[in-house]
Amino acid sequence: MLLLLTRPRYDTPTHYLFYWAGLLIDEAKSKGVKVIDLDKNKATQKKLHSYLAKQPIDIVILNGHGNREAVAGQDNDIILSVGNGTDLLKNRTIFVRACDAGVILGKEIMTKGAKGFIGYIQPFMFPIDKDSFNKPLEDQLAAPVLDCSNQVGLSLIKGKSAEEANKDSLNKYTETIDQYSSSQATNSFLLPILLWNMTSQVCYQ
Amino acid sequence: MEVENEEQTFSEDIINLVIARLDTIPSNVELSVGNEGSFSIDDLIERVKKQDEIGKKMIEMQLAYLRSLGKLPTQELQNAASAN
Repeated sequence: MLLLLTRPRYDTPTHYLFYWAGLLIDEAKSKGVKVIDLDKNKATQKKLHSYLAKQPIDIVILNGHGNREAVAGQDNDIILSVGNGTDLLKNRTIFVRACDAGVILGKEIMTKGAKGFIGYIQPFMFPIDKDSFNKPLEDQLAAPVLDCSNQVGLSLIKGKSAEEANKDSLNKYTETIDQYSSSQATNSFLLPILLWNMTSQVCYQ
Repeated sequence: MEVENEEQTFSEDIINLVIARLDTIPSNVELSVGNEGSFSIDDLIERVKKQDEIGKKMIEMQLAYLRSLGKLPTQELQNAASAN
Protein backbone atom coordinates (compact mmCIF):
# COMPACT_ATOMS: atom_id res chain seq x y z
CA MET A 1 0.00 0.00 0.00
CA LEU A 2 1.23 3.51 -0.79
CA LEU A 3 -0.07 6.57 1.05
CA LEU A 4 0.39 10.20 0.01
CA LEU A 5 -0.30 13.05 2.41
CA THR A 6 -0.08 16.79 2.11
CA ARG A 7 0.43 18.72 5.32
CA PRO A 8 1.20 22.38 4.80
CA ARG A 9 2.09 24.44 7.84
CA TYR A 10 1.79 28.23 7.79
CA ASP A 11 -0.98 29.27 10.19
CA THR A 12 -2.67 27.97 13.33
CA PRO A 13 -5.06 25.47 11.72
CA THR A 14 -2.39 24.00 9.43
CA HIS A 15 0.10 23.99 12.33
CA TYR A 16 -2.28 21.67 14.21
CA LEU A 17 -3.20 19.52 11.21
CA PHE A 18 0.51 19.16 10.37
CA TYR A 19 1.16 17.44 13.70
CA TRP A 20 -2.05 15.41 13.78
CA ALA A 21 -1.44 14.15 10.26
CA GLY A 22 2.03 13.22 11.47
CA LEU A 23 0.38 10.61 13.70
CA LEU A 24 -1.08 9.03 10.57
CA ILE A 25 2.40 8.83 9.06
CA ASP A 26 3.70 7.13 12.21
CA GLU A 27 0.84 4.64 12.12
CA ALA A 28 1.30 3.93 8.41
CA LYS A 29 5.03 3.31 8.80
CA SER A 30 4.42 1.02 11.78
CA LYS A 31 2.16 -1.08 9.55
CA GLY A 32 4.65 -1.24 6.71
CA VAL A 33 2.72 1.22 4.54
CA LYS A 34 4.97 3.32 2.33
CA VAL A 35 4.43 7.06 2.75
CA ILE A 36 4.95 10.07 0.49
CA ASP A 37 4.93 13.05 2.85
CA LEU A 38 4.41 16.36 1.05
CA ASP A 39 4.98 18.56 4.07
CA LYS A 40 5.33 22.34 4.29
CA ASN A 41 6.90 23.72 1.08
CA LYS A 42 6.53 20.34 -0.62
CA ALA A 43 2.74 20.67 -0.47
CA THR A 44 2.47 22.14 -3.97
CA GLN A 45 0.25 21.45 -6.95
CA LYS A 46 3.25 20.51 -9.09
CA LYS A 47 4.53 17.89 -6.67
CA LEU A 48 1.09 16.49 -5.88
CA HIS A 49 0.12 16.09 -9.52
CA SER A 50 3.50 14.66 -10.42
CA TYR A 51 3.36 11.97 -7.71
CA LEU A 52 -0.24 11.13 -8.56
CA ALA A 53 0.66 10.76 -12.24
CA LYS A 54 3.73 8.60 -11.69
CA GLN A 55 3.29 6.58 -8.49
CA PRO A 56 0.87 3.71 -7.71
CA ILE A 57 -0.68 5.58 -4.81
CA ASP A 58 -3.65 3.91 -3.09
CA ILE A 59 -4.66 6.49 -0.49
CA VAL A 60 -4.46 10.28 -0.63
CA ILE A 61 -4.97 12.42 2.47
CA LEU A 62 -4.98 16.18 1.94
CA ASN A 63 -4.78 18.44 4.99
CA GLY A 64 -5.19 22.17 4.66
CA HIS A 65 -7.63 24.88 3.78
CA GLY A 66 -10.33 24.40 1.24
CA ASN A 67 -13.57 25.55 -0.23
CA ARG A 68 -16.36 23.94 -2.22
CA GLU A 69 -14.24 23.61 -5.35
CA ALA A 70 -10.62 23.43 -4.24
CA VAL A 71 -8.04 22.40 -1.67
CA ALA A 72 -4.90 24.38 -0.85
CA GLY A 73 -1.36 23.43 0.05
CA GLN A 74 1.45 25.53 1.47
CA ASP A 75 0.69 29.26 1.74
CA ASN A 76 -2.89 28.67 0.65
CA ASP A 77 -1.89 27.91 -2.96
CA ILE A 78 -4.44 25.69 -4.68
CA ILE A 79 -3.17 22.15 -5.27
CA LEU A 80 -6.37 20.42 -6.42
CA SER A 81 -9.53 21.92 -7.82
CA VAL A 82 -12.49 21.22 -10.04
CA GLY A 83 -11.13 20.52 -13.51
CA ASN A 84 -7.53 20.52 -12.33
CA GLY A 85 -6.12 17.22 -11.11
CA THR A 86 -9.30 15.40 -10.14
CA ASP A 87 -8.77 12.86 -12.93
CA LEU A 88 -5.46 11.89 -11.27
CA LEU A 89 -7.43 10.36 -8.41
CA LYS A 90 -8.99 7.61 -10.52
CA ASN A 91 -9.06 4.27 -8.64
CA ARG A 92 -7.77 5.96 -5.48
CA THR A 93 -9.35 6.67 -2.13
CA ILE A 94 -9.09 10.25 -0.90
CA PHE A 95 -9.70 11.97 2.41
CA VAL A 96 -9.77 15.77 2.25
CA ARG A 97 -9.47 17.30 5.70
CA ALA A 98 -10.41 20.81 4.63
CA CYS A 99 -13.50 22.97 4.71
CA ASP A 100 -16.41 22.49 2.34
CA ALA A 101 -14.62 20.35 -0.28
CA GLY A 102 -17.32 17.68 -0.09
CA VAL A 103 -19.83 20.02 -1.67
CA ILE A 104 -18.53 20.14 -5.25
CA LEU A 105 -14.90 18.96 -5.44
CA GLY A 106 -15.61 15.59 -3.82
CA LYS A 107 -18.44 14.87 -6.22
CA GLU A 108 -16.27 15.67 -9.22
CA ILE A 109 -13.48 13.46 -7.87
CA MET A 110 -15.98 10.59 -7.80
CA THR A 111 -17.23 11.27 -11.31
CA LYS A 112 -13.59 11.01 -12.46
CA GLY A 113 -13.40 7.47 -11.13
CA ALA A 114 -12.06 7.64 -7.58
CA LYS A 115 -12.75 4.62 -5.36
CA GLY A 116 -14.03 6.76 -2.54
CA PHE A 117 -14.06 10.27 -1.09
CA ILE A 118 -14.40 11.51 2.46
CA GLY A 119 -14.59 15.21 3.26
CA TYR A 120 -16.68 17.97 4.77
CA ILE A 121 -19.58 20.04 3.49
CA GLN A 122 -19.12 22.81 6.07
CA PRO A 123 -16.12 24.53 7.66
CA PHE A 124 -14.03 22.04 9.67
CA MET A 125 -13.71 23.52 13.15
CA PHE A 126 -11.68 22.61 16.18
CA PRO A 127 -10.92 24.24 19.53
CA ILE A 128 -7.43 25.20 20.56
CA ASP A 129 -6.04 25.65 24.04
CA LYS A 130 -3.86 28.72 23.60
CA ASP A 131 -1.51 27.39 26.27
CA SER A 132 -0.86 24.28 24.14
CA PHE A 133 -0.04 26.02 20.89
CA ASN A 134 3.56 24.83 20.91
CA LYS A 135 2.52 21.25 21.68
CA PRO A 136 -0.51 20.55 19.49
CA LEU A 137 -0.51 16.82 20.22
CA GLU A 138 -0.85 17.59 23.93
CA ASP A 139 -3.80 19.94 23.42
CA GLN A 140 -6.58 18.26 25.38
CA LEU A 141 -9.23 20.46 23.78
CA ALA A 142 -8.26 19.86 20.17
CA ALA A 143 -7.67 16.15 20.73
CA PRO A 144 -11.29 14.96 20.93
CA VAL A 145 -12.13 16.52 17.56
CA LEU A 146 -8.90 15.70 15.76
CA ASP A 147 -8.88 12.13 17.09
CA CYS A 148 -12.31 11.54 15.53
CA SER A 149 -11.15 13.05 12.27
CA ASN A 150 -7.87 11.10 12.33
CA GLN A 151 -9.88 7.89 12.61
CA VAL A 152 -10.69 8.21 8.90
CA GLY A 153 -7.00 8.03 8.04
CA LEU A 154 -6.26 5.28 10.57
CA SER A 155 -8.99 3.07 9.11
CA LEU A 156 -7.88 3.71 5.53
CA ILE A 157 -4.33 2.76 6.51
CA LYS A 158 -5.73 -0.52 7.84
CA GLY A 159 -7.04 -1.21 4.36
CA LYS A 160 -10.66 -0.35 4.99
CA SER A 161 -12.86 1.20 2.30
CA ALA A 162 -13.92 4.84 2.36
CA GLU A 163 -17.35 3.83 3.59
CA GLU A 164 -15.91 1.70 6.40
CA ALA A 165 -13.42 4.41 7.39
CA ASN A 166 -16.18 7.00 7.47
CA LYS A 167 -18.32 4.71 9.64
CA ASP A 168 -15.42 4.13 12.05
CA SER A 169 -14.91 7.88 12.33
CA LEU A 170 -18.61 8.56 12.92
CA ASN A 171 -18.65 5.85 15.59
CA LYS A 172 -15.73 7.54 17.29
CA TYR A 173 -17.59 10.87 17.20
CA THR A 174 -20.60 9.17 18.79
CA GLU A 175 -18.46 7.62 21.54
CA THR A 176 -16.74 10.94 22.20
CA ILE A 177 -20.02 12.84 22.30
CA ASP A 178 -21.37 10.29 24.79
CA GLN A 179 -18.24 10.70 26.87
CA TYR A 180 -18.54 14.50 27.00
CA SER A 181 -22.29 14.29 27.62
CA SER A 182 -21.85 12.52 30.93
CA SER A 183 -22.82 14.50 34.00
CA GLN A 184 -19.26 14.28 35.31
CA ALA A 185 -17.65 15.49 32.09
CA THR A 186 -15.91 18.83 31.94
CA ASN A 187 -15.51 20.86 28.76
CA SER A 188 -19.03 20.14 27.56
CA PHE A 189 -18.62 23.17 25.27
CA LEU A 190 -16.88 20.70 22.94
CA LEU A 191 -20.17 18.96 22.20
CA PRO A 192 -21.55 21.40 19.59
CA ILE A 193 -18.17 21.37 17.81
CA LEU A 194 -18.03 17.57 17.76
CA LEU A 195 -21.58 17.36 16.47
CA TRP A 196 -20.89 20.01 13.83
CA ASN A 197 -17.91 18.17 12.35
CA MET A 198 -19.64 14.81 12.62
CA THR A 199 -22.67 15.97 10.68
CA SER A 200 -20.53 17.85 8.15
CA GLN A 201 -18.49 14.76 7.25
CA VAL A 202 -19.55 13.06 4.02
CA CYS A 203 -18.51 9.93 2.21
CA TYR A 204 -19.03 9.13 -1.45
CA GLN A 205 -18.30 5.67 -2.71
CA MET B 1 -26.46 26.55 1.50
CA GLU B 2 -24.22 29.58 1.96
CA VAL B 3 -26.60 31.83 0.07
CA GLU B 4 -29.45 30.78 2.31
CA ASN B 5 -27.24 31.46 5.33
CA GLU B 6 -26.29 34.91 4.11
CA GLU B 7 -29.91 35.90 3.72
CA GLN B 8 -31.04 34.55 7.06
CA THR B 9 -31.06 36.74 10.14
CA PHE B 10 -31.70 35.56 13.66
CA SER B 11 -33.85 37.04 16.40
CA GLU B 12 -32.41 38.80 19.44
CA ASP B 13 -33.47 35.89 21.65
CA ILE B 14 -31.45 33.46 19.59
CA ILE B 15 -28.45 35.80 19.54
CA ASN B 16 -28.58 36.16 23.33
CA LEU B 17 -28.92 32.40 23.76
CA VAL B 18 -25.85 31.74 21.63
CA ILE B 19 -23.83 34.46 23.35
CA ALA B 20 -24.75 33.00 26.74
CA ARG B 21 -23.50 29.62 25.62
CA LEU B 22 -20.26 31.03 24.19
CA ASP B 23 -19.74 32.95 27.43
CA THR B 24 -19.36 29.66 29.31
CA ILE B 25 -16.27 28.69 27.28
CA PRO B 26 -12.98 29.29 29.13
CA SER B 27 -10.95 32.28 27.97
CA ASN B 28 -7.91 30.15 27.09
CA VAL B 29 -9.88 28.60 24.23
CA GLU B 30 -9.75 29.67 20.60
CA LEU B 31 -11.76 28.17 17.79
CA SER B 32 -10.15 27.38 14.46
CA VAL B 33 -12.72 28.00 11.75
CA GLY B 34 -11.23 26.73 8.50
CA ASN B 35 -9.98 29.37 6.11
CA GLU B 36 -11.15 32.16 8.34
CA GLY B 37 -8.48 31.58 11.00
CA SER B 38 -8.68 31.24 14.75
CA PHE B 39 -10.96 33.28 16.97
CA SER B 40 -11.05 34.05 20.67
CA ILE B 41 -14.37 33.66 22.42
CA ASP B 42 -14.74 37.45 22.62
CA ASP B 43 -14.16 37.64 18.85
CA LEU B 44 -16.82 35.00 18.26
CA ILE B 45 -19.32 36.82 20.44
CA GLU B 46 -18.75 40.01 18.47
CA ARG B 47 -19.23 38.06 15.22
CA VAL B 48 -22.47 36.60 16.54
CA LYS B 49 -23.71 40.08 17.46
CA LYS B 50 -22.87 41.30 13.94
CA GLN B 51 -24.34 38.16 12.38
CA ASP B 52 -21.55 38.01 9.86
CA GLU B 53 -20.63 34.74 8.15
CA ILE B 54 -18.60 33.42 11.10
CA GLY B 55 -21.22 34.57 13.56
CA LYS B 56 -23.94 32.76 11.65
CA LYS B 57 -21.88 29.57 11.60
CA MET B 58 -21.60 29.81 15.39
CA ILE B 59 -25.34 30.28 15.65
CA GLU B 60 -26.01 27.35 13.32
CA MET B 61 -23.62 25.17 15.30
CA GLN B 62 -25.16 25.95 18.67
CA LEU B 63 -28.73 25.61 17.40
CA ALA B 64 -27.94 22.29 15.74
CA TYR B 65 -26.63 21.03 19.07
CA LEU B 66 -29.64 22.26 21.01
CA ARG B 67 -31.98 20.70 18.47
CA SER B 68 -30.11 17.42 18.83
CA LEU B 69 -30.81 17.48 22.54
CA GLY B 70 -34.47 18.12 21.98
CA LYS B 71 -34.25 20.87 24.57
CA LEU B 72 -35.89 23.32 22.25
CA PRO B 73 -38.58 22.43 19.72
CA THR B 74 -37.15 22.63 16.20
CA GLN B 75 -40.16 24.55 14.90
CA GLU B 76 -39.77 27.18 17.58
CA LEU B 77 -36.16 27.71 16.62
CA GLN B 78 -37.05 27.91 12.96
CA ASN B 79 -39.69 30.51 13.70
CA ALA B 80 -37.18 32.46 15.76
CA ALA B 81 -34.95 32.84 12.72
CA SER B 82 -36.78 35.86 11.45
CA ALA B 83 -36.34 37.66 8.16
CA ASN B 84 -36.00 41.10 9.72
